Amino acid sequence: MSIKIKERQYNVWREGNAKNITFIVTKDCQLACKYCYLVGKNVKERMPWEVAKTFIDYVLDHETDPDFAYESVVWDFIGGEPFLEIELIDKICDYIKVELYRRNHHWFNSYRFSFSTNGINYHEKAVQDFIKKNRDHLSIGITIDGTEKKHDLNRVYKITEKGSYQDVVKNIPLWLEQFPGGGTKVTISSADIPYITESVLHLYSLGIHEVNINVVFEDVWQEGDDLKFEEQLMQLADAIIDDGYYQDYACSFFSEHIGKPMDPERDNQNWCGAGKMLSVDAAGNLYPCTRFAQYSLRDKEAWTIGNIHDGIDKNKLRPFLTLDRTTQSPQKCIECEVASGCAWCQGENFDAAQTHTVFERATAICLMHKARVRANNYYWNKLYRKLELEDLREQYEANKREVKPEIC
Amino acid sequence: MLQYLVILLNNTSVAYCHADNPLKECSLMPLETLKKGILFGMKQNLMIQYVFPNYELPKEYAKVIESIDNVKIYPIGCKPVTGIEDGNNADVEVANEVPEKVEAKNLVLRLAFSEMLANKDEIAKLFASGARINLCITDVERFTDGQIEAYKQVLNEWDAILLNLYKQGQSPQFNLLSDRMMLEKMHNCEAGVSNITLAPNGKFYLCPAFYYDEQTKVDNQLNHHQPTSDNAVGDLENGLDIPNLQLLKLDHAPLCRNCDAYQCRRCLWLNRRLTWDLNTPSRQQCVMAHIERNASRALLNDIRKIGEFMPEIDIKEINYLDPFEVRKEF
Ligand code: SF4
Ligand code: SF4
Repeated sequence: MSIKIKERQYNVWREGNAKNITFIVTKDCQLACKYCYLVGKNVKERMPWEVAKTFIDYVLDHETDPDFAYESVVWDFIGGEPFLEIELIDKICDYIKVELYRRNHHWFNSYRFSFSTNGINYHEKAVQDFIKKNRDHLSIGITIDGTEKKHDLNRVYKITEKGSYQDVVKNIPLWLEQFPGGGTKVTISSADIPYITESVLHLYSLGIHEVNINVVFEDVWQEGDDLKFEEQLMQLADAIIDDGYYQDYACSFFSEHIGKPMDPERDNQNWCGAGKMLSVDAAGNLYPCTRFAQYSLRDKEAWTIGNIHDGIDKNKLRPFLTLDRTTQSPQKCIECEVASGCAWCQGENFDAAQTHTVFERATAICLMHKARVRANNYYWNKLYRKLELEDLREQYEANKREVKPEIC
Repeated sequence: MLQYLVILLNNTSVAYCHADNPLKECSLMPLETLKKGILFGMKQNLMIQYVFPNYELPKEYAKVIESIDNVKIYPIGCKPVTGIEDGNNADVEVANEVPEKVEAKNLVLRLAFSEMLANKDEIAKLFASGARINLCITDVERFTDGQIEAYKQVLNEWDAILLNLYKQGQSPQFNLLSDRMMLEKMHNCEAGVSNITLAPNGKFYLCPAFYYDEQTKVDNQLNHHQPTSDNAVGDLENGLDIPNLQLLKLDHAPLCRNCDAYQCRRCLWLNRRLTWDLNTPSRQQCVMAHIERNASRALLNDIRKIGEFMPEIDIKEINYLDPFEVRKEF
């Protein structure tokens, strides 16, 4: 028997040298997810076409600037729910394509449009027309949180608070047909822990082979959550290994690269890409990442790095571009025996910091990461033992793919 | 380690560094607060530096002020307080235009960049005064790459004048050019680390500029939002409480800890104002400091042609002005 272990495929556009540019096209959304970090969502701030156009011109005018000297580009559209603004998005994408061609820009043919959607209006004509038109340069992820019960725990409509599961799941077959390798993103908060195993298995049963899960970075965890989390992940590990899912399905919780000590000099890179990315909002303000826009922040004022008229204030980027792991980490993280794979979000760090800084790492996920590491160790020990007993270990080692940590 | 306590005797105490003092309303530190401040300094073993306004203080302050060894920072030409005649060698006069003569052993000369260029010859005359001259540029945030050559040129001209003085056997002290020649490690402002400021309201601030910002609720002049809330880092009742103290220190400043522009002010207030993060310098600060560093290197090399001078100091040739451009990337 030959086996193929499937782990998360790393997005080549990020692995390679790609600039990530994000349009916050709207701050509106049909849903009011309970864990949503977008504290300032509203229906008013929709991006006017003029703002989008001026921004694109600014970016393309600066082709040779070091900030834009990337081989390729990912144009990201986020909201709220981006597909609420499909007409604007269509116009933006057309304009980008024409301009890349007209300017003979080095990103011509080296671009991608990327969406993360709640999937509710995925089937609508305007969205489908857009997909057909841009099929070769498109990646779309639909967020579905797992079983109906788990999904509807958080992902509810505004006002009515009705769960959105049924409206999303009906679009999954169409999406998977159009994006066969499509992955989904699952976010775990305290109340979701008991549903992790059944949710991942449910997503597999829907035909989704790649499930990316994160625990939220915010300080939401209750006492004992880490043990419950560990228990769930071990159940999930058993299911994935015993039922052979590891051959064809991936779950980002399990990775051989996490849970090791990190060298303060060699392994000193920042986790997230804030500062190397660029976001623009409806008012034409520029941000190092969308998480620094006002609607994403609880306690701090927005960290703008300029606007579409004056351009980027490079001084405002300097903290982001000089961030390293150890400078922002507390001593416990520098000495941590299981530090690798323990993530952070620069925006949440800033929001939670005692002072106006991006150099104070929030560690609300500490116990959760440690629990994940224990379950992860269990997973690999169990999987390797099984492979050895079946005499498939060598074959596995020869075929295994490298999994890179997901950088937000 | 904390070594100095800066006491602003009045809201209108003279500005002696990059930030102007925008406070106009005269508000003298109450005597009781002053006494408590002095007591704090004594208990923490801090050298006290009083900053005076430009009028003579009431007589009852003299006794309290002199109850402890101190350094005085005062506007040039202004007698700080009657009854105090003998100055300390470390006393500092502050001028906002080039003075004809310097009385104290130290002069802080605060000028905008264009004023500095326009007055370069008058400034040069001060080098022979025997006083230490600290030139402080008050509009660093407006310095552009287009002014790099002008800055290099004026420092070159001053190099030549200083060299002549060295040839004559003098040891002129001019912060922008002679400091770096003497330094083997960073010697920066160290606000919050080696010094702390007590304002008339009885609260502590990293430096006077953070007090001004708080009192005037200034958003910075670049038209961006800036956090201006409460800048105090403790008070006389409860002591110091500096959040994220580690971020004020050199080892937590990724650019500065690898830098050898040792004479740089490394001004935290400018950092926060221009990059929004206390531990990250602006391009302006770095480029200006490197032009000074390189001019110091040239002066050092020229002095060594006359004879042996500071043999332990080695200022390397470098090909950048902004360490950000050669930062370590992971
Ligand atoms: S947050 Fe906790 S688990 Fe993560 S690196 Fe720090 S000490 Fe380790
Ligand atoms: S020149 Fe720049 S990097 Fe060097 S000490 Fe000054 S502020 Fe820091």
